[in-house]
Amino acid sequence: MREGRDIIRQVEAARDDMQAADVFIRTYMPFIKAETAKFLRRPPVEGHDDELSIAMIAFHEAICGYSSARGAFFKYAAMLIKSRLIDYHRKEQRHSKVISLETPAGDDEEKALGDTLSDGKDHSEEMTVREATRKEIEELTEQMKEFGVSLTDVSDNCPKQERTLNACRKALNYARENPEIFEELLRTKRLPAARLCQGSGAERKTMERHRKYMVALLLIYTNGYEIIRGHLKQVMKGVTGR
Amino acid sequence: MSYIVMECHSSYAILLDEEGRFLKAANLHYEVGQTVYDPVLMRDKPEKRFRPVRWVTGGAAAIAACFLLVFGMNYYQGHMVSYSSIYLTINPEVQMNLNRQGEVLELIGTNEDGKILLEGYEGKGKDKVTVTDELIDRAIEMGFLSEGGQVSFSIDAPEEAVLSEYSKELESEVKRHLKNRLSITIEIIDRQTGDTETSTTENPGQSENRSSQATQETQSGENSSGVSQETGRESGQEQQSSAVQQETQAPQQQPQPQQVQPSEPAVYEDTDYGSDNDGITDYNQTAPQSQMPQTSEEEETDYEDDDDEEEDD
Repeated sequence: MREGRDIIRQVEAARDDMQAADVFIRTYMPFIKAETAKFLRRPPVEGHDDELSIAMIAFHEAICGYSSARGAFFKYAAMLIKSRLIDYHRKEQRHSKVISLETPAGDDEEKALGDTLSDGKDHSEEMTVREATRKEIEELTEQMKEFGVSLTDVSDNCPKQERTLNACRKALNYARENPEIFEELLRTKRLPAARLCQGSGAERKTMERHRKYMVALLLIYTNGYEIIRGHLKQVMKGVTGR
Repeated sequence: MSYIVMECHSSYAILLDEEGRFLKAANLHYEVGQTVYDPVLMRDKPEKRFRPVRWVTGGAAAIAACFLLVFGMNYYQGHMVSYSSIYLTINPEVQMNLNRQGEVLELIGTNEDGKILLEGYEGKGKDKVTVTDELIDRAIEMGFLSEGGQVSFSIDAPEEAVLSEYSKELESEVKRHLKNRLSITIEIIDRQTGDTETSTTENPGQSENRSSQATQETQSGENSSGVSQETGRESGQEQQSSAVQQETQAPQQQPQPQQVQPSEPAVYEDTDYGSDNDGITDYNQTAPQSQMPQTSEEEETDYEDDDDEEEDD
């Protein structure tokens, strides 16, 4: 009984703190592996089987979605892992008729099918782009730290409803038209929420609630971060379309 | 939709989609900076979806169930329970059980001909007048009912209003239905009190003669004149009354109605034996005899009297 309460306390702690969640997941990794093995009917290989990653994210979902009304935590987590794995498996089945690039090409078993094809892409260029993107992201993460915001926080804080997302985009658009807002942000290390609301017509509450997300979004649109900005091509589309 | 991998953790990765959302997804061996196309995204907390407090939904379900019960009972009482009955007698006898709405729930042939009449006929759920019309048509088709015949409806209803409504409805409907086709007698009997009402349908050939007395009405309770006076009033009122009604047919110049002869049912009215015995032996001839045209014959020969009417022992 006490053990059960202890686990519920740990789950609740992990829900609010991603670090604690990571620790909790690592502690119960054997459980996640066992549940995956039940599904795969073989022990999963860490770093190779996608199923294990799916099981981990399902365990994560279980932490976020658990309440004592749902019964014992591990039963709930096991159920969630199983259903997510089934979902994943069904999704993968759609591609089952496609031959994997990993299959041996002809008689020569050492060469995979993928190796025999010449893809149009330049691998070295792709690696360069990836490296550049990684650097940008690192830079962004560093800058966000100055504001006391981490990427995990931003993902937790990200608006889920389209309407809220649009309000945030409008605020961003207003900031782009008035560059002094960016300056104020960088100078004070605080989000000028009042000005953004006033200028864009967004509700103050929306701005406050999604403050961390807005900080990340505005930072991306300050100098630098060309690649990320290039990726976000659809962000401004919605605003101008309206 | 493409996603940039922003951050990798052992149990999840953070991706940025093209619309500016930061999302958590399963870390399928991603690297920071990689562009991915088909990630397994983490779903939103399920608890938010069915937060609407349980007792509210439970209460709503309970209220809905109560409503269903009340209206269901109402419907059941109105539509499924037998409320009244109509006994249709031509020669085939058919019993119709009706619900409160006057729709037929069940049709029973109460004699052999009735069963024949109902063979292959589906009247369930139809209105009583529809069924009546259809049954009369079938009876005509099968030869049970012909010109000058009689259709009798005995109505058994718990309420006076329903009874009078049904009798009016049936009478007018049958008249309308058979107008210009057949001339028959319609008899409507209240099964509980025995009150009888008789009328005839109009046939164009005879309409002139009959127009004056298309409908004649006599109630046994009020019946203070006519044949019933002569027949023992103290007892056997029901049969007595029906006899009276049928007699109304007799004066017409219609060639047909054999079974409408007045003499037959009257026989049992004044009897010195049987259940209707009044305890007084009538040595003298009673009034009907004087009316009967064959009185003199009957006094002499009982044996040939096919309508074994008088009881001179």
